[in-house]
Amino acid sequence: MSRRSELLRYLGARLALAPLMLWLISSLVFLLLRVAPGDPIDALLGPKAPAAARAALRHQLGLDQPLPVQYGHFLGDLLHGNLGVSQASKEPVTTIIQGSLPASLELGLVALLIAAVLGLAVGFSGIARPEGKVDLAGRLFGIGTYALPPFWAAMVVQLVFAVWLGWLPVGGRLPATVLPPEGTGFYLFDSLRAGNLQQLQGALRHLVLPASTLGLLLSGIFTNALRLNLRRALSSDYVEAARSRGLSETRVVLRHALPNALLPVLTITGITVASLIGGALLIEVTYSWPGIAFRLQEAIAQRDYPLVQGIVVVVAALVVLVTVVVDLLVALLDPRVRF
Amino acid sequence: MGGISLLRACGGAVKLPRSLPAAALRQQARFLASLLASLLAAASLTSACAPPHPAGTLIVASKARIDSLDPAQASRSGQLQVLSALGDPLYAITADGAIEPRLAAGPPVLSADGLRARIPLRKGIQFHDGTPFDAAAMVFSLNRFMAIGTLGYQFSDRVKAVRASGPFEIELELKAPFSPLPRLLSAIFLTPVSPTAYRTHTDKPLNNRFVGTGPYRLSFFNGQQQRLTPFQEYWGARPANGGIDLVTLSNSTALLGALRSGEVDVLLASGLEIDHQQALHRDAATGRLREGSGPPLSIGFFSLLTDQPPLNNPLLRQALARSLDRATITERVSLGMRPPLRQLIPPSLAGSDPDAWPAYDPAAARALYRQAGYCNGKVFGLPLTFRSDIPSDRLLALTWQAQVRRDLGDCLDLQVSGMESTTAYDQLGKGALTLFFYDWIGDYPDPENFLTPLLGCEKVEANRCAKGNSALSGSFWSAPGLDAELLRSSRIDGPERERLLRAIQRRTAAAVPYLPVWLMAEQAWSGRRISAPQFDGSGRLRLDQLRRLPAAPATLAASPGGPEARR
Repeated sequence: MSRRSELLRYLGARLALAPLMLWLISSLVFLLLRVAPGDPIDALLGPKAPAAARAALRHQLGLDQPLPVQYGHFLGDLLHGNLGVSQASKEPVTTIIQGSLPASLELGLVALLIAAVLGLAVGFSGIARPEGKVDLAGRLFGIGTYALPPFWAAMVVQLVFAVWLGWLPVGGRLPATVLPPEGTGFYLFDSLRAGNLQQLQGALRHLVLPASTLGLLLSGIFTNALRLNLRRALSSDYVEAARSRGLSETRVVLRHALPNALLPVLTITGITVASLIGGALLIEVTYSWPGIAFRLQEAIAQRDYPLVQGIVVVVAALVVLVTVVVDLLVALLDPRVRF
Repeated sequence: MGGISLLRACGGAVKLPRSLPAAALRQQARFLASLLASLLAAASLTSACAPPHPAGTLIVASKARIDSLDPAQASRSGQLQVLSALGDPLYAITADGAIEPRLAAGPPVLSADGLRARIPLRKGIQFHDGTPFDAAAMVFSLNRFMAIGTLGYQFSDRVKAVRASGPFEIELELKAPFSPLPRLLSAIFLTPVSPTAYRTHTDKPLNNRFVGTGPYRLSFFNGQQQRLTPFQEYWGARPANGGIDLVTLSNSTALLGALRSGEVDVLLASGLEIDHQQALHRDAATGRLREGSGPPLSIGFFSLLTDQPPLNNPLLRQALARSLDRATITERVSLGMRPPLRQLIPPSLAGSDPDAWPAYDPAAARALYRQAGYCNGKVFGLPLTFRSDIPSDRLLALTWQAQVRRDLGDCLDLQVSGMESTTAYDQLGKGALTLFFYDWIGDYPDPENFLTPLLGCEKVEANRCAKGNSALSGSFWSAPGLDAELLRSSRIDGPERERLLRAIQRRTAAAVPYLPVWLMAEQAWSGRRISAPQFDGSGRLRLDQLRRLPAAPATLAASPGGPEARR
């Protein structure tokens, strides 16, 4: 079987399994939400609404129906691409997700960029003098940033740069005096497209702290991954062969060792992107970033069943998609990979 | 050494490469240094380029995310706060507690049997979309609220029908005489909306728009940000500012930092952690900020499960009532910002009885515990549940636990545990929580809205409430004739009503199904260059009264809600 056929077969298998996985995940979430203690009626009406009002709302939301009937409705709607309506706001879940997912993606992508640049730069810098001071500092950086508790780190960064120094805003996506740009929900892109510098500047200023904090916390993964793989590559036979041909050390590192060392980093990037799609909850909460994780947390607190289910299904679908794409990229870039 | 070994282990057992030239190393160092310098420079530069506030507009921050501004969906304080600036109620409660007609032209005129109320409406009022406000619009809004309102039961439980009895007069047909009617009609969720704008939303909510009659128009809405601009054709006094930008910040530290750094002009206390409120309170006391408080309309109390052991023993409940040192607890937990409370009705309302519940008396408590068989080498272990997502609740529970250990450690042991709010409310109505702390604020300021939700009962079995509000509130307590007394208290008025309300409170206090602890008020803080926040009698911040002060040195003059008034 040719490599291309293998790839297509692999892709087909992964895509065929995706609906099954999504069904399992959504069913599990449906069940867990109903088993978990707490009543959406309490969250909506408070604990002291009269029994008649509670019963009326329960009926209106369909929560008085037997569980199999509720599940049937949920699954039927899901098959038709209908994620339902939020119990709390009566807004379609799709609309809520469309409003908050771009915020998480924008934050995640910029944070990933910062993490990759910073992490790879630090990881690469130690290679010049292995076991030297820079290498040691790089290792410390890698372990330290990976081990930092996100909530604590975000709070400290917020206190120092926003509250004490007043350099940057404490939270949100835009200044209160600037209205959001129309369009995709990616404020940087939308404001650039509209040519609105005030919006762009506001969006950038609000993005700096959450993205830098998240980027810093993620950079350690890249540092350690690159450092380890680069050192392994530099001690391999093909690098020795390159050296024996008289190539300069810089050329050996940049042309021969680095591309191979970056392949596992691509896989790590994929995993990180997948985790960021679900949002960095603690970062979003600390910086009042109205992303998908923030909405999910609110929805869980309110026992907003359709919204929780909808967010989980969409995030799961995106994670599946990203992992498939990353696997394919790795396969395309590395001819040694077999399926 | 250990750290270095660990770091080496992280690198893996691989052959070390040869060194790169020193020039490459310097290049890497330069790259990192320039990256760091660029980030810091960008941060410094952008801080100088923060967009200025448009002239006269103010930024007000709170923790409340707002999903909908449809009055039919409004049930949370954040929604009600914004609606109070966008809409007008039929009646309003002033800061001193008086009722004044707003969209109504006068007080309701009741029929002889008290079952019909005619309300004249003010003329010459426009909705934000330019359509006129009249009786038909008011009837449309009230019927819509009864049909789809989250709090629709508040109105439909009392009102059978609404009709226009004239172009500018409506008639309410009541299910029973209801003396607090004007107070009910002061609820902002009953504010009228334009029938034209809501024509396609008669049976479903319109979340992201609001077309009412209030001093501000809604010119932008999303969950985290709302922009209010003054309504030029407003019938009443024009707002003192050029508009309000409302923003949501999701954590208490961010809110505190935003006010202190001047990023926002005014901050609402709702959702702020208690220690942050204390910090702001201190700032206000030293003149760095201005502070305003609304009327204290929220009560914090314990609910005691009276129909199951151990608290089905009245002796233990009475002992518990005398074991609570409110003065110490409120001082330790809230720095005195939440005054101690020994009744269920806030003191500003009719029927207030400040000493209804017994005061702290450890000697009397010990005697009662002894009478119940404890203290003599036998400690009464009592589980106490608090809402784990409310930091002040945890502090309160732990402080009371410590106070009891200090004063009555040989008799009572409070076994404290936390439970997330929504779960706890669910468990409360199922009789699963022996002693639970939470709070309550009425949807409109009237004693009826405090007593009935806690004591009302549909099915009474001796002193047990099998079904009704008392069961939902976790006490399951009632008494023969109590529900009839509650009903009567909502039909009569004046001194007779006050006497009855006090009698109901005394009767309840004797049985101790609840244990009031403290009183809470809405609070807000503003920067030095902004006027002191003021509240109306319903506990809403008067956004229309906020204004930027002239640049002259600010002196913190005493204001009705300012720190001087608090002292």
